[in-house]
Amino acid sequence: MKTALYTTLTLAIASLAIGGCSNLERSRDLGNPQVQGKTLAMQVCSNCHSVDGNSINPNFPKLAGQQEDYLVAQLTYFRSHNRSDPEGSEYMWGIARKLTDEQIKGLATYFSQQKDAPNVTGDPALVAEGKALFENGNPKEEVAACAGCHGAQGMGNGTFPRLAGQHKDYMIKQLHILSQTDQRPAGAMMKPLVHGLTPSDMIAVTTYLQGISPQ
Amino acid sequence: MITKFVWRHILKVREILPALATLVLLGVWSFPSYALPAFARQTGQNCLACHAGGQFPELTQYGRLFKLTGYTLGSRSIPLSVMAVIDYTNVRNPKDSAGVKDTTDFYKNGQPMFDFASVFLAGKITDNLGVFAQATYANYDHQKTPGVGPYEGYLTPDNTELRYADRFISPGNDLIVGAFANNNPSMQDVWNSTPAWGYPYIGPKFALGAPASPLLDGGLAQNAVGAGVYAYWNKSVYGELSMYKTANGPFGFLHPGGNAGIARIKDGAPYWRLAYTKEFGPHNLMIGTSGLVADIHEGNDVTLPTDHYKDYGLDAQYQYILDPHTVTAHISYIHENVRWGNPALVGTAGADNANETLKELKMKVAYVYNAKYGGSLAYQQLTGSTDATFYAGSNPPVPTDISGNMAGSPDTTVWVPEVFWTPVQYLRVGAQYWHYTKFNGASSNYDGLGRSASANDTLFFYVWGAY
Repeated sequence: MKTALYTTLTLAIASLAIGGCSNLERSRDLGNPQVQGKTLAMQVCSNCHSVDGNSINPNFPKLAGQQEDYLVAQLTYFRSHNRSDPEGSEYMWGIARKLTDEQIKGLATYFSQQKDAPNVTGDPALVAEGKALFENGNPKEEVAACAGCHGAQGMGNGTFPRLAGQHKDYMIKQLHILSQTDQRPAGAMMKPLVHGLTPSDMIAVTTYLQGISPQ
Repeated sequence: MITKFVWRHILKVREILPALATLVLLGVWSFPSYALPAFARQTGQNCLACHAGGQFPELTQYGRLFKLTGYTLGSRSIPLSVMAVIDYTNVRNPKDSAGVKDTTDFYKNGQPMFDFASVFLAGKITDNLGVFAQATYANYDHQKTPGVGPYEGYLTPDNTELRYADRFISPGNDLIVGAFANNNPSMQDVWNSTPAWGYPYIGPKFALGAPASPLLDGGLAQNAVGAGVYAYWNKSVYGELSMYKTANGPFGFLHPGGNAGIARIKDGAPYWRLAYTKEFGPHNLMIGTSGLVADIHEGNDVTLPTDHYKDYGLDAQYQYILDPHTVTAHISYIHENVRWGNPALVGTAGADNANETLKELKMKVAYVYNAKYGGSLAYQQLTGSTDATFYAGSNPPVPTDISGNMAGSPDTTVWVPEVFWTPVQYLRVGAQYWHYTKFNGASSNYDGLGRSASANDTLFFYVWGAY
């Protein structure tokens, strides 16, 4: 027993002693441009978004399979403080503040290539209601069809984000931000489009989107 | 007062209690309380990224991973932080049975006071190495003349840790391995249901508390220095093994004051920890166990007999974090068995029993809205073997004002409701009310002079800032 314990001690002290070595392949240094974006994705971003981009806590968006251009744009906005919604900026301004364009590109490429894991599906009636809203909008309230920009299956396109499989709670939060604030200037076009959405509309459309799992 | 009894329990050497009282007041039992803007500057993030609902020191999943990866996430910045606490304590009945105010146990009662301040050196050193080092100035550190008169301030070492970590991660596999050296068993823990970072995160200095505490619950804090290794696999299974020795000799700088009153650990004291964690949606759950085995000399002389401590703990933590709501719950149970090392003292002086047991249960649930407005309710229960000589100083016990223990028992139960407000991320204002339903083994007349447990109820306000 005593031998095992002293072995533990020796291991611990030896580890601490070699801690001075640089470790670019497994670094969490957000201020070192030599660390690859992919490395940061796994060592840092995974803490909230999971290593495969399928975040578990809906406070944090799923990034798996997200449009690469959209990810590049958002990281750039966080870096320049052009995106200031509190829930995002409180975490992401710090993460992005010293990222290079190359690292941002590497991060975006990594997560865009991850496979989306199916999310929770909702009540069929609510899903049907949300699907209709997503595909057709609500002309009466001047709500445009979401599918027009986000794709027929919500897969997104370029800087229009993928919504399919995204967490419902996260999307509702973003809809409120986009419709009621100017904290996401790049999403300003969403403001009039979602202004006519009621809270129940938001629940319906996000329930539908969360459950989409395109093959 | 808490400290005096705790140390009596730990070392069972009454003769050196005055010296120990000094040591104790140097910070061993000052409530741990740490929010680190130095880390926030390193990551560039808001405190709430690492602290659940911003209620430092409770860690979020992200905060736990930040610590487990060696405080190395982010980019180097000025690794310094400061912290200060101003508070106010009001004990329900600060008078003895003759109506005379007790100005020793309840010093500064009913008066605001600058309690303590800390300075931290904390942050990333290399890609794999980080540090968390704290020194605390306690404004009411010890009495100039032991037992009487005013207090004076003192700057002492506090929780200090050097940590190495590496992470081998790819889709489908995540292994964090690390090593640490620190001066407080369980300081290395990342859940808030183990002693070093458990509730209360701050509390009254001049108020009464339970008459004993397991060794595992802070008994070796800043008295020991140790090192250990750990691994966390796929954010699900955590294991750790470490060993502690007396913080003297070259490690004396990690221990407050001189070595006169230090707990002398024979050989090494192993500490172990296992935990299972599960995240599902906004929920995060941990169940775990820990333990500490130590032989401690009955005084500073290593030729003295040793008391054998075996402490085992079970604990769990639950968190629900989804903006703007944060709910956290903690439960901890520690069972301690002590076998006294000097049979000659058993039954004559020191203790009636050859073995003592102590069971400590702590529970707490908290809610925070929008990382600003919070409230919590805690319940703490201590039970243990009856031993009049050990807890009351004589058998049969003698009535003694305020600190008496006619039951010869450690049994103490307290409820602690708390409300707090975090107007800005570096500042918290709060109020606690400590309501005792049992104290020293009884609800009423516990001291033999008519004092009830609830006479020790304590109202505590605090303003806690860090930068």
